[in-house]
Amino acid sequence: MSAEPIALSDNGALIRAEDLWRTYAMGAEEIHALRGVSFTIQKGEYVAVMGPSGSGKSTLMNLIGCLDTPSRGSYVLRGKLVSQMNDDELAAVRNREIGFVFQTFNLLPRASALHNVELPLVYAGVPREERVVQARRALEMVDLGDRMNHKPNELSGGQRQRVAIARALVMTPSILLADEPTGNLDTVTGDEIMRLFGKLHGDGNTIILVTHEKDIADHARRTIHIRDGRIESDVRNAGVSG
Amino acid sequence: MPFTEAITIALSSLRANKLRSFLTVLGILIGVSSVIAVVAITDGLDRYISDKVLELGSKSFSVQKMPDVITSREQWREMMKRKDLTLDDYQVVKKGCAACSDVGAMVAMTSNAKWGRTLQENVRIIGITENFPRIGSVRDIVVGRPLIPDDIEQVRPVAVIGSDLVEAFFGGMEPLGKEVLLNGRPVKVVGVAEKKGTIFGQSQDNFAWIPISTFRKFYGSRRSVEIQAEAWSMSDFETAQDQARVAMRVRRHLDYDKADDFSVETGQSVMDLWESATRGIYVVTIVVTAISLLVGGIVVMNIMLVSVTERIREIGVRKALGARRRDILRQFLVESVILSAFGGALGVLGATLASKGLAFVLGSIMSADFSAPVRLWAVLLALFVSSVVGLVAGIYPAGRAAALDPVEALRNE
Repeated sequence: MSAEPIALSDNGALIRAEDLWRTYAMGAEEIHALRGVSFTIQKGEYVAVMGPSGSGKSTLMNLIGCLDTPSRGSYVLRGKLVSQMNDDELAAVRNREIGFVFQTFNLLPRASALHNVELPLVYAGVPREERVVQARRALEMVDLGDRMNHKPNELSGGQRQRVAIARALVMTPSILLADEPTGNLDTVTGDEIMRLFGKLHGDGNTIILVTHEKDIADHARRTIHIRDGRIESDVRNAGVSG
Repeated sequence: MPFTEAITIALSSLRANKLRSFLTVLGILIGVSSVIAVVAITDGLDRYISDKVLELGSKSFSVQKMPDVITSREQWREMMKRKDLTLDDYQVVKKGCAACSDVGAMVAMTSNAKWGRTLQENVRIIGITENFPRIGSVRDIVVGRPLIPDDIEQVRPVAVIGSDLVEAFFGGMEPLGKEVLLNGRPVKVVGVAEKKGTIFGQSQDNFAWIPISTFRKFYGSRRSVEIQAEAWSMSDFETAQDQARVAMRVRRHLDYDKADDFSVETGQSVMDLWESATRGIYVVTIVVTAISLLVGGIVVMNIMLVSVTERIREIGVRKALGARRRDILRQFLVESVILSAFGGALGVLGATLASKGLAFVLGSIMSADFSAPVRLWAVLLALFVSSVVGLVAGIYPAGRAAALDPVEALRNE
């Protein structure tokens, strides 16, 4: 996806989040999962969002991924005010701007690797022939060109996660949003996946990594620590490996 | 999302649960196949009956003591009280009916026939006027000669026999000139009538015609005569019946406010009876089908709810990847419609087999050529109705799937 002119003046920021609140009603009680979170992320950044469980990092990830909208505050993604969007608009943003990588891969078990990667293209309305071409290209990018017709249960964990990454990349989204991407993998395979993220960052992709593991977060160039629904710290890393 | 994609997804999901899908559609399968099979069978019977009734002659009618169709014991008792029809009545009708091209009379009984030691049971012994074989259902003489007016005037003990008697008695032998016993009375065979086969398994050829005068001499005159008449043309048909009726009423001195104390019968009364019977069958079938489709629809809805519950996470993933509400809605609606339409299609297959089988069984019971063709309109209607059932049954489950919150759905284990 080529860069479009940015509608709001954001000084080139890809994400501008201002005073994000997310409140859940638990019976009569109100739970504040996020209590006024603000940050900006530039295009091409590699950011880790870290925090213990219950810190609000999953809620933040859902907001960044446009799976949810904030109770209060504004979230601008590529110049578009996402926090005011309706369901269908959010679906379109998720489709075009966000590439999800989940801890549990979330591949469709009955579909081949190729078809799994085609899915976002299906919802974007891309015609079949073109879908196949693009999905193949994405799979080749993660070195799975020879496993396209395998079903998820015929692939190793690392291969499954690479299929998921290919699926996240196939629409060339603005953000690659990974939620504990190595959580279900052994250390060796996890490192392999992290190297792939490093390479994708090198290629100019914006990556946001949600994790509770410091080792994983250290791969990123910037770490945002969340605790009790607030940003505790926002620091630049030296950056471990590429 | 394009439609073909929704269909692909639906098919793969149904394929993944083959047995469940099949069991789910059983209700629809049974409903659809019963309606198509019943329509095919009644259709086949309809044609069979109207063919046979038409064969009886479409512009002939009879005047008889009792109607062809008696619907109650009371009515039957009432009818038994009526006066018998006599040969004089026959003469009166013959004179009174100008619109009739021909009027004949017959009187019949069922008894046995014997030739040598061979006994044939349940033979219709029919006393006739010479013109009887030409009225209504025409029957030719294939061997020998017909009965002639002289036979009747001279009260000759002669007979024209049906092919069943020829086969039973004579096999390959010459039947003409042989003397057979009809209910113990000897008659000489002078002719053999054309073979007609069976109606509802009843042979039409187990009979012997003798002159009506001979019949009354042999077996007494206390049986009611049946008057057979034929109109000149179809346009005269009603007039002819009216003239015959008037002639009878005048003869019986019936006041204008009295009902007929005799019956005028046409093939139509048999057709009417048949039609009212098939209407009943149709109504019952429609009710049965409606119930089984309702049950089938509930089963489909239930299984679609299960399917949605099983795939909450998949729905979450699809939403994360950009599926809109309507994409999810469409996916599950298509699946529900395909599921039921598949039941409908199996039903069509089942119905085709069922009606072929039933037609064969009925055909051999009636020993007749009988076909029950599956109608295209019935097939299309069945597929349409089952698809609609699927659509209706799928709306609620699909709506639930579409409304799922993606965050919640992705959290589902």
